[in-house]
Amino acid sequence: MKERIEIVASGFGGQGVVRLGQIIGETGVKQGLRVTMLKSHGTEMRGGYVRSQVVLSKDVIDSPMCENPDYFVALSRAAYERFKDTVPEYGTILYDPAFVDKIDEGLKCTHKAFPAKELAVEHFNNPLFSNTLVLGAMSRIVDILDKDAVLESILEIIPKFHDRNRQAFQIGYDYVN
Amino acid sequence: MKRFLETGNFAITEGAILAGCRFFSGYPITPATELAEAMSLRLPQVGGFYLQAEDECAAMHMCIGASLGGMKAMTATSGPGFILYADPYGWALGCETPLVVLNSGRVGPVSGITGAPGQGEFYLMRYPTQGGNFETICLAPSTAQECMAMTVEAFYLSERFRMPVSVLADQLITDGFEDISVPENDDEMKEMGLRVWPRKVCQGPEFYPYTDELDIPPVVLGHNTGGICSDWTPTVEGYDIEEVEAHHKHAYRLIYKVRNNRHLFNHLYEKKFMDDDPDLVVVSYGTPSRVVNTAVIKAREKGLKVGSLRLINLWPFPDEHFTRKTKYLSVELNWDGELVREVQRATPKDSEVHFLGTCGDLPTTPDLIEAFENLLKNEPLSRKGWVLEEW
Repeated sequence: MKERIEIVASGFGGQGVVRLGQIIGETGVKQGLRVTMLKSHGTEMRGGYVRSQVVLSKDVIDSPMCENPDYFVALSRAAYERFKDTVPEYGTILYDPAFVDKIDEGLKCTHKAFPAKELAVEHFNNPLFSNTLVLGAMSRIVDILDKDAVLESILEIIPKFHDRNRQAFQIGYDYVN
Repeated sequence: MKRFLETGNFAITEGAILAGCRFFSGYPITPATELAEAMSLRLPQVGGFYLQAEDECAAMHMCIGASLGGMKAMTATSGPGFILYADPYGWALGCETPLVVLNSGRVGPVSGITGAPGQGEFYLMRYPTQGGNFETICLAPSTAQECMAMTVEAFYLSERFRMPVSVLADQLITDGFEDISVPENDDEMKEMGLRVWPRKVCQGPEFYPYTDELDIPPVVLGHNTGGICSDWTPTVEGYDIEEVEAHHKHAYRLIYKVRNNRHLFNHLYEKKFMDDDPDLVVVSYGTPSRVVNTAVIKAREKGLKVGSLRLINLWPFPDEHFTRKTKYLSVELNWDGELVREVQRATPKDSEVHFLGTCGDLPTTPDLIEAFENLLKNEPLSRKGWVLEEW
């Protein structure tokens, strides 16, 4: 693996951006990695701006900042605009077209559209499951993440809806390639 | 040893419990709410008490009460709550009551932003109350693991010095998640260098000695100790005496018990690339120092002779690190420059002391390296949208 892997997720409050970062972080710990996960947010529980910055590394992590994220999960238009330019050429932006309707064609990094909200509504009639769908997709895209460890972390951290979360995770995993 | 992903708040809670804390009173405030939450869960499990107060002032007063009742106590808040500690902090200093106080810094002034880090309380930690004639001890960790260790250390120091000791973290550490290891037995604690000082009880008849002596057990009221305490100038026996001569002696103790025993905490710092007399010393504390460390490593790879000094013991200010005349750069999470003033005071006359501050977010590595390059070339510091003041 690279010396350190940086993952940024950003959107608005209520989407599970912090939970997503926490689950990826927990997976890192399960895999024996060093982990930091910063969260920045406004006062609101729902609606405000939220960002998680996860760093995974085999060694001690000095800076916990994701200055050039290897992976960026964009869950709102504002988040996409704010952080898209920090993603380097080798980086990947995973975005939900329900929120990010237009992407910057000028960027050299890889873009992957992942309609999490649409899939969640289609399969579960509930956008709540978008987060687990994204984690399914992430566990396929992010090489270092072990699929089983991610799922195990989801089930540990989210105490409810285990069956539907398992399903959502698999749907997300199968959707991307 | 248990290893898991948790917040700095959780790490502090575990540290407090390891140190023997069995009483917590606080008023929830982001980014210290999760600490209150964790305490409310963990303390009853170990036979302790959690009490949510009506406000921060009452919370810390209740901690003083618990400490005077013989318990190890702690309270936690963020900047907007810390200012409400002004009254009880003075009480705890004056009555020599051991306590641990966490301040999780967020960007200010006033309420600022709950979910953004700040370092605007550097001087507030030195002067948390009115009246003067005291020293304070403040420790500033920079990782969740260090939060746990410094909380244990804060309890250790608070017992030995008989005074409140504060831990100054910032929102990114307390609110952020990190992998932490928690010891499960005494051997593991020792292995991790965690020191615990048991609560001892002053049996009198001298309760408030007029010396700089350490390790006089704290005053506990009741329990047949005969102890008494008051917020006025105390006599040695603890009675009120409003006389200047007695107050001189009392103030002498409050100041010099700390100043004359600095060896107990002045080893708390971290130096990187400081052995070859660097041309630029970057001074910082808390989370920014982690970005500074990364930047300094990269700067060294580019051949820049830069070193990093990370302060953990903030107060009393460790002047001994600043005896060499060279260039200094203070990196802080504020735009008004606080630590830099103290660096300026402590460095030899005519030293060059510069300041780079950010407001509400960490500095970036490229910005720091650019600043190092500029300073080493004797060029002014500048940043997009913000022209930095020359110090």
